[in-house]
Amino acid sequence: MSKIACFVEKYNFTDPREEGALANFKSAAEESGNQFNFLFRENISDVPKYDSVFIRATTDPLNTAYVVSKTAWELGMKVIDDPESITVCGNKIHQYALFEKYNVPHIPTVFLSKDELHHKKINDIFGELGKPVVIKAPYTSFSRYVEKAACETSFRDVAKRFFKKSDVLAIQKFTPTAFDWRVGVLNNDVLYVCKYMIPKGKWKHGAKLRGKPTVVWGRTVSLHKQLMPSRLREVALKACSVVGKGLYGVDIKEVDGRYVVVEVNDNPSIYAGYEDSSDDDIYQRIISYLSE
Amino acid sequence: MTVLVVSNIDLTANLQVIKPASFLESTIKEPTLNLSNEYRYMKTGYYVSMHAEILGNRVIPSCEDIIDSSRTPLLLLRAAKAGVPTLPSLVTDSVKKIMTELGFPVILFAVNPFIYDGFKIAQNKSALYRAMKSLGMNYKFAVCAQPLKGDLLTVKSFFGKVASAEPQAELIAKKVYETFKIPVCKLHIQKTVDKAYLCGLQPVEKEELSREDLQTISKEVLLISEQGEPFGV
Repeated sequence: MSKIACFVEKYNFTDPREEGALANFKSAAEESGNQFNFLFRENISDVPKYDSVFIRATTDPLNTAYVVSKTAWELGMKVIDDPESITVCGNKIHQYALFEKYNVPHIPTVFLSKDELHHKKINDIFGELGKPVVIKAPYTSFSRYVEKAACETSFRDVAKRFFKKSDVLAIQKFTPTAFDWRVGVLNNDVLYVCKYMIPKGKWKHGAKLRGKPTVVWGRTVSLHKQLMPSRLREVALKACSVVGKGLYGVDIKEVDGRYVVVEVNDNPSIYAGYEDSSDDDIYQRIISYLSE
Repeated sequence: MTVLVVSNIDLTANLQVIKPASFLESTIKEPTLNLSNEYRYMKTGYYVSMHAEILGNRVIPSCEDIIDSSRTPLLLLRAAKAGVPTLPSLVTDSVKKIMTELGFPVILFAVNPFIYDGFKIAQNKSALYRAMKSLGMNYKFAVCAQPLKGDLLTVKSFFGKVASAEPQAELIAKKVYETFKIPVCKLHIQKTVDKAYLCGLQPVEKEELSREDLQTISKEVLLISEQGEPFGV
């Protein structure tokens, strides 16, 4: 029997679909004879009382979740997401640099440093990647801090905002598709496969309606993992292998018959009735991994 | 052995130094000493270490050590493991918990993506509420609290050496450097009658570096580039 702590914040329970998934994790753990407790931030000091930690609160190297992950790791416990995965997935500059080093097929990307924000460099980037380009802050998640720029003025405007927190940004070729593949991977093996549809007239999975603060999300179409194209599987596993052995959600675009990685995310969303609808063993597999 | 020195600090000695921007564009594969007054996450000082790691270079400091040393709970956890005296700390957003478990006075550090410098000392309940509100950004984030048992001493540490004549502070700085290898930083240390405890680590502003400080740093850099220490070669 293993004692699993699931580190969550209050917002993890605001969406009934996520609340449902958390309940599924709990019953999967208990059915297999394990203990599964939700751990909120006021009880972080209880981490050493457990055997493993499963983080569902949003991760970032600067958040409490990282402190929880690193504390567990220092104590020799099994932890999802592990500190190394948080570091590499929490900073997309780090991630794309690894993709380049290990030849993981990914969206054409150039890095831009704060002191390079001048006319010539911007022109060179437009020359290399075409117009528009996508400007991505390294700390992006849930489609936030990813914006399109088609001219120098809007490029500067977006870049200046993102440079407030990071001295390096990623600039990518604009690659519109009807959907992004989302491949869930655990310990070098595929857990689930979905298509994250892009809302009509938009270019990313979570998009704002013009002039409104609300975000509209595209549909999630789930697929049996046995039915996934084998090349998609290869690319997803290769991308994860340069990050680590944890739990990831890989976003992949299919462009002219080729699969290119958009990004690997740690702490991937798991909503009841969405990611789990074709392969419902994902809860049990994650729990087994934590309790091994 | 050659050591590549990447520095945003103007050193005094006649040293071969490359600027962070040029290094980030390069593919130089050599043991790298990343010298910066500020290693904040996602700032240039961090990206220099990241770039060196991607190139496969041994680098001081590592990305991991940069992140951990700037998160007070992890700084204290790893320092304590290495034998540095620390006081018990709490990561929490609960005023009540701090009051019952630590009492007053307490010293608080932020644990969130936005605040990276400064700390607050609270002597009573209302001051604690105010400190939690500002460091926790309206209670949105947790803070790291430690009891304040003595006088607070802040020292500049260069490669683990401090100008202070305080032997306990010297020992703490030396061990913190051995653990995290942050070449340039400020250490906050609590000093009671007979003991000293590590309490926090923060970046040094460029303006805080005196001429003597620059000389000390340059001397250490020279030593490292000649001897290859502390790259273990």
